[in-house]
Amino acid sequence: MNNAENLMQNKQLSEQAAGQPAQPLQQLLTRPDIWQLANRQRQPRTGISTGYRGLDALLASHGWPRGASTELLVDKAGIGEINLILPALAEMTRQNRMVILINPPHIPYAPALAQAGVQLEKLLLLHPRGQRDQLWAAEQALQSGACGALVSWQGKEVLADKDLRRLQLAAREGDCLHFHFRPGSSASSPSPAALRLQLHSDGEQLALQLLKQLNGKSGQRLHLARNPDLTRRDQPLH
Amino acid sequence: MLWLCIQLPKLPLEALTRAHRAGDTAPVAVSQSNLIIESNPAASALNIEPGLSIATACAYCPGLQLLERDTEREAQLLQQLAQWAYGFTPVVSPRTGNPDSKAQSESPACLFLELGGSLKAQGGLAPLLQQLGKELHKMRITHQMGLGHSPSAAHLLSQLPEHRQWLAQTSTPPTPQQWKQWISFAPSKLLDCSNKAIAKLYACGIKRVSQLLAVPLSEVGNRFGRDFINYLARLNGSRPDPVPGYQPPAEFHSELLFPSPLDNSEQLLFPAGRLVRELCRQLQRRQLYSPALYWVLDYGSRGSEEVNVELSRPLFDPQRLIALTKLQLERVKLKEPVQALALRCKQLRPLETKMLREDFFEEGGSQHESYQLIDKLRARLGHQALSGITLKESYLPEQAWTSADSLSLQSKRHGHQLHPLSAPRPSWLLARPDRIQQREHSLFYDGELQLLQGPERIDGYWWQHHRHARDYYIARGPQGSLYWVFQDLTSEDWFLHGVYS
Repeated sequence: MNNAENLMQNKQLSEQAAGQPAQPLQQLLTRPDIWQLANRQRQPRTGISTGYRGLDALLASHGWPRGASTELLVDKAGIGEINLILPALAEMTRQNRMVILINPPHIPYAPALAQAGVQLEKLLLLHPRGQRDQLWAAEQALQSGACGALVSWQGKEVLADKDLRRLQLAAREGDCLHFHFRPGSSASSPSPAALRLQLHSDGEQLALQLLKQLNGKSGQRLHLARNPDLTRRDQPLH
Repeated sequence: MLWLCIQLPKLPLEALTRAHRAGDTAPVAVSQSNLIIESNPAASALNIEPGLSIATACAYCPGLQLLERDTEREAQLLQQLAQWAYGFTPVVSPRTGNPDSKAQSESPACLFLELGGSLKAQGGLAPLLQQLGKELHKMRITHQMGLGHSPSAAHLLSQLPEHRQWLAQTSTPPTPQQWKQWISFAPSKLLDCSNKAIAKLYACGIKRVSQLLAVPLSEVGNRFGRDFINYLARLNGSRPDPVPGYQPPAEFHSELLFPSPLDNSEQLLFPAGRLVRELCRQLQRRQLYSPALYWVLDYGSRGSEEVNVELSRPLFDPQRLIALTKLQLERVKLKEPVQALALRCKQLRPLETKMLREDFFEEGGSQHESYQLIDKLRARLGHQALSGITLKESYLPEQAWTSADSLSLQSKRHGHQLHPLSAPRPSWLLARPDRIQQREHSLFYDGELQLLQGPERIDGYWWQHHRHARDYYIARGPQGSLYWVFQDLTSEDWFLHGVYS
């Protein structure tokens, strides 16, 4: 069933219900932040390929969900968390769309990004001061339609639920990939993000746990090997 | 050739009082070396005329506001007017007034405009003259106009009241006969020559130009010299009459002085809008664009503050420029009441057709949106909050990248000139290498580190005093994190330099 048919059916339904006290419910259902199982078809099915076949297979949209927030819960830096999203970011810059990093924790190292295929001239770093400006900038960038992907990091202050929801809505409006890094401890608190992944390392590999995904199953685990160039012991040391 | 001369008789006064409110009735006069040289209508009504001494003027009117003449500001205003006139015709020549105070009322500053080439584009003579008059009136510049076949003739005729009256009604330029008539009808005191020469003319009984033209040229030459003959020939149109051409500088500057200082940044938006519209009109006429707007909030004696609005692409829409300015002004906390607001565009650039084309044919229009977004972000967060990154050729890892202006990045879209190394590099680089603990041949950074690969020797600047010799390794922490670490070969200390995130 495509969108038009869906709309027709909804219209017929609402005509049947005309004059009856079902109006508040109808109004409630038009709210964009309420997710209806019946309207699953409205969600875009194809995401942006993550660049990892195993992960694509797990995800309902066969890739990172478009126009939505994806939360990545990480406690320890250096386990391959940026590598996980780099293929998608590189793809965005190749499509001539802007990729924005807001207050990254360290300097994004240009030689590594170029190695990963990121077109550096499409990469923009933002350093807003204070949470208010940071939120404003993220929202503006997400909904502008100019931005292919936006990566943000939770600072010292925890974003309120309503702020996360606003970002999620802005991402939908601008059809932008939104990656938000948060500490693993926030796994227990609910979040409006469309996809939540917990990342940790099992020593050799990056271990993913799917905490939540809209329109799909969750709870699966996946292990992704690190780049063998990094972990290969090819040289005698000392 | 059709020359228009716009005389600006009250420039010394208007340069100082242009921003005063229209209904201001306080008497104001401009003085120079103890003499009044110009007065406003309120002061003239009290008989304060050019030529009076300051003492006499103050005796006539004790409440008189005296302003010292500011020739620099006058010259600035004249340049501004020349720039404005350049919007109507490409041939403009400003002439400064006589700085000598006594002769001021006799030879004020003026502008020469060649109209012949732009009549058609501006819809004919009458609409053009009306438009010029209307805009001058809006800028509150007192003016007198004269039309002639040469700049000298236009200058002479602009002083002739009968001619000005005719000009206000005409819709077609006069024929050469008519011009000759106007000129010969003019009194000889209007000739553009020294007072001495005019006194001499009157002594000879020559009161009208027609009488002068009746005298054989050789006679006139004998008495008044070669230059005077040349001048007459230029007046007649029998000799070319060159005026210095004016090329407008590639910049824009306009200022509004507030009669009562503003203490709220919101109040600034209205005057800012006026300046922006003035700028946009000029940019459009001259086919230029400005990469940035510089606003100067003048706190009078307490200094000034500059607010910049940077633009990543040509923008002529006043509404959008004002919206960006508003974002900037909202961030400004006024330290003092603002006495004047100036808009400065230091470098206007020629608009290339390529830029316009990019606008229209950009795939999906995303370029347009990204410019809009960048301008908006820059306006609220400030210039320094935005940056790009680019590769740089260097031996040293910390110098192999550099921060780039996001503006230049967006316009350049052909791949990297430099080829990245094949050795794996970390996605994060620490702003400053972090010292790693060393105990009994083991390395500790958040737990014991295990070296996986290396060394990669980076030995740069060995020819300099600050030699950098380092052995880089990839190391793994106890929780599986991969780090880029190095040992400094001179001090043998270990550092963490990057994270393979």
